[in-house]
Amino acid sequence: MSKPGFYHAALLVAAIASTASCLVGFSTIGFGAAVVGESRKVEIPQNARSGLDALKAQYRRPVTIPFPRENPYTPEKAALGKKLYFDTRLSVTSAQSCASCHSPGFGWGDGLAVGVGHGMVNLGRHSPTIINAAWSAIFMWDGRLPTLEEQALGPIQSPGEMNMKLDQLMERLAAIPEYKPMFEAAFPGEGMKSKTLGQAIATYERTVVSERAPFDAWIEGDEKAISSEAKRGFEVFNGKAQCAACHEGWNFTNEGFQDIGLPSKDVGRGEFLPGVIKMQHAFKTPGLREITHRSPFMHDGSLATLEQVIDHYDHAGVDRPSRSDLMRPLELSAQEKADLVAFLKTLTSELGPTAVPVLPR
Amino acid sequence: MRTLALFTGVIMCGLSVGAYAATEVIHQRGRVFSSETLSVKKGSAVTFLNDDTVPHNIMSASKGNEFNLGSQTPGTSTDVTFKESGDVQVICAIHPRMKMMVKVTE
Repeated sequence: MSKPGFYHAALLVAAIASTASCLVGFSTIGFGAAVVGESRKVEIPQNARSGLDALKAQYRRPVTIPFPRENPYTPEKAALGKKLYFDTRLSVTSAQSCASCHSPGFGWGDGLAVGVGHGMVNLGRHSPTIINAAWSAIFMWDGRLPTLEEQALGPIQSPGEMNMKLDQLMERLAAIPEYKPMFEAAFPGEGMKSKTLGQAIATYERTVVSERAPFDAWIEGDEKAISSEAKRGFEVFNGKAQCAACHEGWNFTNEGFQDIGLPSKDVGRGEFLPGVIKMQHAFKTPGLREITHRSPFMHDGSLATLEQVIDHYDHAGVDRPSRSDLMRPLELSAQEKADLVAFLKTLTSELGPTAVPVLPR
Repeated sequence: MRTLALFTGVIMCGLSVGAYAATEVIHQRGRVFSSETLSVKKGSAVTFLNDDTVPHNIMSASKGNEFNLGSQTPGTSTDVTFKESGDVQVICAIHPRMKMMVKVTE
């Protein structure tokens, strides 16, 4: 090969090699997409192990309820919202209210494995509690609604649940004379419309907060507030069992979405992120406050007791590509399981009674 | 000799594009992105470093800059090169409170 010929051939090989190195190193996910490079392992400096006091400080209750700037709290709104929440006339049959599935009698759920909707037909998922919804940033088991105001209107309109068209509902409410002045007082100049209906219900729901439990007294320094068993359970919860990787903070959730290996065909969050493997069969991590009032457990209500829940996590459930990398067999001892259950029970308060409101006529 | 130097140069250039471009690092410790917004030039890379204690799944569905890192275990670092100018909404699919915007400029 002549010298210029070799020169050009070498350049061509170099260019091909260069391009190939890019293709090997980067794997694209489609035309027009960003280019993802190879992943590298990196040494992460570990924080010094924090002591029990620092850990307990992460679980301290907040002192105020957060209300959004777009829908601030007023007593008038909360009072109206409470009447609407308990009013069965919000469903097409006038037989179901929000409280039918989210009842204070059952830790603001319904005590059933799955909810019961329009025509007494079973729904696909467990009715979630509304406790501490004020601290949520994403709603429904599959996270499909971004605000509590939108969530409040969702089940009302859902054909399988309350099956009520909003136009029809506003006409029905307008025919109940006592509602009009209540809407005017709560929303001066706006009055009765579906937007203010959702805002009123959401405002009331934000006032439903878990009450002080023995766990809170212990966090605040009363060593006698919970048993030694429960204190050991708190350490297992934050240590060996890694529960706090998802059930973190005072409300015991970071609102993440995880497939925890329950043998259900429901894809959950995967419906909205179909190309993301880890979102298949993933559901929002629920908080754990008032937990003993809220059985049965899980998004499908498939586990009846806290002991069964602990056993599920101990075995790690169905091993499939979507299952959270945090799910792995824990090999908990019988004592550790009992300690965890004892700890979880300290998150339940002596819930005070909820007065059912007299409804407008 | 000159040919060999040129050959080596082109190879090295190809191999190190990502390394030179990846100047910005986004940390994920405590289930929070270390920046809410970041501006980068088109064709530059951003390094997403999982220095948290739990897996994350960083992704974007923004048109022209879609990507999905899948489950990124703690102690893993991945570069993403943005090819189109515009605002890129980056989220963690697992932890939807984690959101940030990468502004890709010409």
